[in-house]
Amino acid sequence: MLAFSNNSLANYLFWVSRKKWLIITFFISVVLFYLPTPEGLSSEGHRTLIIVITTLILIISESIPLPAVAILILIMEVTLGVDSPDGVAASFMSDAVFFIMGSLMLAVSIVHQGLDKRLALAIINITGNKTLNITFGFVTVSALMSSFIGEHTVAAMMLPVVLALIKNAGLDTTKATKLSTLLLFSIAYGCALGSIGTPSGGGRNVIMIGYLSEFGLGDISYLEWMKYAYPMLLIEIPVAVAVLWFTFTPKQKSLDTAIRKLKVNVAKSGKLSGNQLMAILVFILVFLGWVFLSPFIGLGIVALTGVFFYLTFGLIEWPDIARRTNWGVILLFGSAISLGIQMKETGAALYVAENALYSLQHIFKNIEMVRWFFTVILTAILTNLLSSAATVSVFGPIVLDMGGNPIALGIATSVASAFSYLTIVASPTCMIIHSTGLVSSNDYFKAGWKLFIISIILLFLVSFFYWPMLS
Amino acid sequence: MKILIAISSKAYSGETLSVGMKIGKAFNASTTIVDVGEKINQFSMKEVDMVQERMDSWDIDRPGVDVLEWAFEYLAEKKLIKTNTIEAGFPKNTLVETGGGRSEVFLEGTFCEDLNLILRNGDIVEELKNEVQSHGYDVTIIGGSGKRRMSHDLTQYINSSIFVVNNYKSNQTYRLLLAVDNSVGTKKAVKYGIRIAQALDIEVDVITVSKTDEFKDDYKNAADWASKFLRRSNINHKNIFLNGNPSELIAREAGDNHIIVMGSSNKNPLKTFFQGNKPLKVLENSQCPILIVK
Repeated sequence: MLAFSNNSLANYLFWVSRKKWLIITFFISVVLFYLPTPEGLSSEGHRTLIIVITTLILIISESIPLPAVAILILIMEVTLGVDSPDGVAASFMSDAVFFIMGSLMLAVSIVHQGLDKRLALAIINITGNKTLNITFGFVTVSALMSSFIGEHTVAAMMLPVVLALIKNAGLDTTKATKLSTLLLFSIAYGCALGSIGTPSGGGRNVIMIGYLSEFGLGDISYLEWMKYAYPMLLIEIPVAVAVLWFTFTPKQKSLDTAIRKLKVNVAKSGKLSGNQLMAILVFILVFLGWVFLSPFIGLGIVALTGVFFYLTFGLIEWPDIARRTNWGVILLFGSAISLGIQMKETGAALYVAENALYSLQHIFKNIEMVRWFFTVILTAILTNLLSSAATVSVFGPIVLDMGGNPIALGIATSVASAFSYLTIVASPTCMIIHSTGLVSSNDYFKAGWKLFIISIILLFLVSFFYWPMLS
Repeated sequence: MKILIAISSKAYSGETLSVGMKIGKAFNASTTIVDVGEKINQFSMKEVDMVQERMDSWDIDRPGVDVLEWAFEYLAEKKLIKTNTIEAGFPKNTLVETGGGRSEVFLEGTFCEDLNLILRNGDIVEELKNEVQSHGYDVTIIGGSGKRRMSHDLTQYINSSIFVVNNYKSNQTYRLLLAVDNSVGTKKAVKYGIRIAQALDIEVDVITVSKTDEFKDDYKNAADWASKFLRRSNINHKNIFLNGNPSELIAREAGDNHIIVMGSSNKNPLKTFFQGNKPLKVLENSQCPILIVK
C-alpha cells in the first residue's frame, strides 16, 4: 500500500490547488467526449473541438507551462484519432512556424546590437523637447519600425529609451507618473498598431497568409498586404497619440533637461560600430527578401536566412540566441497551427462558422455585416485574453469558412488581433511595459477602451470603403 | 536557525521588515530578505528578460532592485550589517543570478554571518514555497496582505513556521497571546513565543481554550508547562482559561493589541484541505500579527 508522509501529502494538495484548472479541463474534456456528436459534425470534428476548448482554457488559465500545452495538443490529436502521427507531424511544421522561429531569433540578434541608443538620438533629434512631439515621435517610430521588424523587437529597444528619459527628467523610475504612463503606452500602442502594417509585423499575419494559401483561398504577397493594411496603420498613429495625450496628460509639457542629459548619455556610446552597420544591412536585405523573394521561398525562409547571416558574420553567438529565444512559444504556435489545419480538415471550423452565423442571422439580416462584426469583435476580445497569434491560429480557420471574401475577412481578423490594448497579457509589448512596475492593469483599460472602439470603427470604414477599391 | 522575510515595497513592508529583523536578531538567525516581483506571462518571459538586460546597459535598475536597495538602507541605518559593507554602499553589481530567475546579494550581518537579499519573480505563494523548500528556512515572515487567501495558502502549504505581520503598528503596545493546548506543536510554540517576547520586550497572556465545559489534564499540563517556562525566563504573564470555540475565542481575545503565537495543527493535510484547521481559522478571524509554529 502506498503511504504518504503528511509533508508529501501537503505537497500533492498544493499541486492540486495550483492546478485546479488543469483538473477542471480534464473533466470538461471527458464529459464533452462522451456527449453525442452534434448533427452535422463528424466525430473527428467533435474531438478536434474538444482539443480546441482544452487548449483555450489551459492557455488562459496558465495552469501548465505553454510548451506542455503545445505537446498536449499533439498528443490529443493523435490519441483522439483526429489524424495519424505523420499527419500531425506534417501539419505541425510550416512556413509560418519557420517565420515565427526566424523572427524571434532576428529580434534577439537585432536587440543584441545595442542600437537603442542610436535610435534614441535619432528620435529626439527629430522631435525636439516638447512632450507632445516626443509622444508623437515614440508612437510613430514604434509603429513604423514594428510594422517591419515585429513589435517585441521594437518594444525591447524603445523601453530603455523611455526609462532613461523618465530618469533624466528627474522622476523616480520606480514610481508611476502621468508622464511615465504616457511614454510607456506610446511604445506599447505604437508597436501594437504598427504590427498590422506588413506580414512581418507579427506572426499572426503570416499564420493568416499560410491558412489562405493552405486552404486554397488565395495567395497574398508582402506588398499586397501592405496595400490593405498600411493606410489603416497611418491613420491610427495620430488617433493613438490623441487618445494617449488626453488620457494621460502630463504636467511636464517640455522635457528640455531630460533631452539634453539623454543626448550626453547617448553621445558617450561613440560612433556606429562596424557590427551595428552590418546588422542594419542584414536586416535591410531580409526586408528586401520579404518583399521580392517571399512569394517564391516563403517569409519564414527569408527570416531564417537573416538569422543565418547574423550567426555567420559573428554578429551574435548561438548561445545568446538559444538563451533568449522563446522556444515554448514556437512549439505552441506550431501546435496551434496544426490544430487550425485539423479544424479545417475535420469540418469543425465549418460547423462552428455555420452555427455562429445561423444564430446571429436571426437577429441581424445583413449577412455580410454579421460576418464582419462577429469576426472582428470576437477576435479583438480573444486577443486580449489569449494572445494575438494564438487567437488567429485557432479562430482563423473558422473565419475563413464563413464565406464572403476570405482575403478581406482574413486580413480583418489579423488586423483586429492587433487591438491588444486592454490587458497586460494581450501581447508581449503590454507585458514588457507592465514589467517596469510603472503601469497598472487599470491603466490599460483607461486608454485602451477608447482606442479599442475607435480602431474597430476605423477597421470597419477601411474594410467597407477602402478595400473594395483594391479588388 | 534561518529566517526568510518577504517584503514588497517601502510603502507596505516597513513594519514587516522592522519586526522581521527584530526576530532575526533575537534568534541570531541567518536572515534572508526576499522581494517577489510580479509573475510574467509565459508568452513574454524571454522578451522581458531581454529588455531587462538592455536596461542594465542604460544603468537603469530592473524592478525590485529599488526594494532591495531600500532594505539595504534600513539594515545600514539600524547597523545590522557590518560597517565596511555599509561604506561600500548597496552592491547592486553583485546581484548574482542563482538560477530559475532568482538573484541574490550577499551581505555580512552584525548579528549573524549571512544576511542576504534576494529577488524572485512569479506567483508569490509558489516562489516562497520553493525558496523555503530549497533553502530550508525555519521561519517565514510575511506582511498581512489585502489578499487573505495568500496568507491562508502560505500558512497551509509552506514548510516552515510562518509569521503573518498583520496590521502591526510600531507605536502600539502589544502583548503576546500564547495559545497552548495538547498539540505536539505547543512546546515549540512556547519556546518561540518566549524568544519573541524577549526580543520585543512585551508581556505574555497564556490562553487555553477547551471546546468542552471542563479542562482535561493534558490542557492543564500544557498551560502549567508554559507558565513554568515563562517564569524561568522572567517574563511577566497571566493565564486565561476559556470554554468554547477555540479559533473564535483566541481571535477575540487577541483583538488588535496582541501578537498571537500558536503551534501548527497536527490534523491530516487532506482534512485540512477540505475543512481547514485551528491555526488557519484563527488567522482568518484575527486582526493582529500571528505566528504559527511548525
